[in-house]
Amino acid sequence: MYLIQMKNITKEFPGTIALKNVNFDLLPGEVHVLLGENGAGKSTLIKILSGVYEPTSGTIKIGEKEYKKLTPEESIKEGISIIYQELSVIDELSISENLFVGKLPHKKFFGLHLVDYKKMREKTVELLQKVGLKRDPDTIVKYLSVSEKQLVEIAKALSIDSRVIIMDEPTSSLTIEETKKLFDIIRQLKENGVGIIYISHKLNEIMEIGDRVTVLKDGQYVGTRNVKDVTIEELVNMMVGRELKNKYFEKHKSVGEKKEIIFEVRNLTRRDKKVKDVSFELYQGEILGFAGLIGSGRTELMNAIFGVDPIESGEIYLFGEKLSFKSPYEAIKKGVVLVPEDRKLMGYFSNFNIAENISIGPYMKISRFYGLVGLLNNKKEAMWANKQKEVLRIKCSSVYQNITDLSGGNQQKVIIGKWLAANPKLIIFDEPTKGIDVGAKSEIYSIMRELALEGIGVIMVSSELPELLSVCDRIAVFNNGRIKAIFSSEEATEEKIMYAATI
Amino acid sequence: MNKAISNIWNRYGIFVILLLVIALFGALSPKYFLTTDNLVQIMLQSAITIIISMGEFFAILIAGIDLSIGSILALSGMITAKMLVGGYPIIISILVGIIIGALLGAFNGLLINLTGLHPFIITLGTQAIYRGITLIISNAKSVFGFPTEFTMGIAGWIGKIPIPVIIALIVVGIMLFITKKTIMGRNIYALGGNKQASWFSGINTNLYTVIVFIISGICSGLAGIVMTARLGAAEPLAGVGIETFAIASCVIGGTSFFGGKGSILGAMMGALIIGVISNGLNILNVSTYYQQIVMGALIIVAVAIDKIFNPRK
Repeated sequence: MYLIQMKNITKEFPGTIALKNVNFDLLPGEVHVLLGENGAGKSTLIKILSGVYEPTSGTIKIGEKEYKKLTPEESIKEGISIIYQELSVIDELSISENLFVGKLPHKKFFGLHLVDYKKMREKTVELLQKVGLKRDPDTIVKYLSVSEKQLVEIAKALSIDSRVIIMDEPTSSLTIEETKKLFDIIRQLKENGVGIIYISHKLNEIMEIGDRVTVLKDGQYVGTRNVKDVTIEELVNMMVGRELKNKYFEKHKSVGEKKEIIFEVRNLTRRDKKVKDVSFELYQGEILGFAGLIGSGRTELMNAIFGVDPIESGEIYLFGEKLSFKSPYEAIKKGVVLVPEDRKLMGYFSNFNIAENISIGPYMKISRFYGLVGLLNNKKEAMWANKQKEVLRIKCSSVYQNITDLSGGNQQKVIIGKWLAANPKLIIFDEPTKGIDVGAKSEIYSIMRELALEGIGVIMVSSELPELLSVCDRIAVFNNGRIKAIFSSEEATEEKIMYAATI
Repeated sequence: MNKAISNIWNRYGIFVILLLVIALFGALSPKYFLTTDNLVQIMLQSAITIIISMGEFFAILIAGIDLSIGSILALSGMITAKMLVGGYPIIISILVGIIIGALLGAFNGLLINLTGLHPFIITLGTQAIYRGITLIISNAKSVFGFPTEFTMGIAGWIGKIPIPVIIALIVVGIMLFITKKTIMGRNIYALGGNKQASWFSGINTNLYTVIVFIISGICSGLAGIVMTARLGAAEPLAGVGIETFAIASCVIGGTSFFGGKGSILGAMMGALIIGVISNGLNILNVSTYYQQIVMGALIIVAVAIDKIFNPRK
């Protein structure tokens, strides 16, 4: 007797197909894992279950009842609860208020409906016992740890007698101890006949807690397996797929034999411990890639190198010179620059035109005392900007056009131009092709290759494995704040990288 | 909205409004309003507003605000006055007044960095603190009896031009230079446009925040000295509510509260428009109570028009 049976679910968005003929079902008392890379369609499927999206075709059977689509109300009424990655508890309310928000128990008092606090407390104590949270029901939620907040969410799901609980990457911000506790609770829920849909990237966790696993890839249904009959290698193969598609750029040729070290990091640890004891070298002429899951510490390492965030210990060498940057300004002065992962947030200035955006780089380099001393020079500004416009092939009517009028790819080129105009020795690209079109992507790859051949150090962080494999000469894989492995381009495969990133 | 039209508006709109306002009052009162003497009078009346608006401009440009300028104005003016009465040399007294303004501004900036609170909160607090200090050191009494070299040197005339007007124009000139010609000025615009991108581009955002509030403090201190010289006395309650005029000048002049957009000349024009309107209404014998209503309406209309010409995407 299935709790949920989704058959041939297809969801089309204008221009793309997010899900194509996906099947998914859930039994009472099982943990069914939903697995796939970013963008595989997991969250679309979940949103169909919670009534956010309406499927283009397919049927959803919940218990005995068949639906063409669910509304959010129907989803809740059928006992489906979701615990999102970003927890949705209300920080300023108490635990019991959080549990009963929208359905406060009430009593009659001289004809008035008043909140029945006594009943609410009793029910809360009972629910907290079920999830093993030893806290007073009146505790304000903002004083709880992340894992405790998660337990409150689970208790909330139980308070409405949920038969299906969907957990979206529940362990992403938990410690090992807290994860263990969560698993105990999941096992208890199973015993009570609750079905759990578990979304996670962490393969070893899936092996521990999962009963069945369904793999999605690019919106397609790959297959469903029993966890006890499957190995991690098989799962990785299913996730990545055998064929290497997306070959829209040529594989580079190996660079010369002579290997000089441009840049070296030794035993770097961030003050917040998001990066621990990381060491690597960057050789002349090569592009060094950094793979890993989001939040595994890649961006955090680059920000620490660039002086954005403080480091606790470790050494940095550029052409043999020992350096440490307390701010990006000091890094820029020494020729280390960073193209950040979020163009809009950290990259460009929407109130500036192209020339102003570009010239901020060289101005910081030539000015003194944190940019406080120095004069603007319109002629130089035009020269810098026009040169970068040519070198990077920025498509614009003039360098005085506002940057917000450009496409994402051209905006990214402007940000790259800002640093090239400052004559860098090392450029770190953090997700340089995120959200830009295929043509601009390959242009950025060839820019990176040219820079490397000119003797400038090039580091690239990316979440797209095909891109890393075809652009980089070596790929370092991050996992949980550390470098787990470094592969040369000859030995690297998507499977090996995914394995190192998730185990 | 057509891009070309919005560009023209951004560049020349404020001049057009100023001319329209002048034309309006000129038509209503050709005899008194459009005389050289009255136009000079308008400049003189606007001088202090212009000086404080120059400082407020930077605070708003970095998506902040400075509510403490009226209190800094009073405290700086009071300290200079006390020193003058105490027999200190004029130049030293003036310099100390300006330095006090700079220090009070720096304190604003440091507190903003230290607490991470919005400048609105910090300067709302220091507005009261600085005013309290002024009342304490003055015993809530006016201080007067300055050497004539001071009053004439600061508030006198050179030929047909009042010295406060010259001081205001010099301040405008310096601020124009900072915004148009220095890397520092460009970086302040950058900080206002995108704080995080500024930090990623090497700009020390904390340092620049302090610098901006120091500039605002210096302008307020200078305005306090000019006001003290004009009145011939330092009043403990000088400059109460004057931040409204400074903020209005910047906003009418097209400075965006979201940060990163605006110009020194715009802020100066804004101050002049306010000066022309209050002068014109005085000549037309409109009560100051009504003038308040006109001023309030003007702020709202100016920003609303700006929004029509610059729709946010």
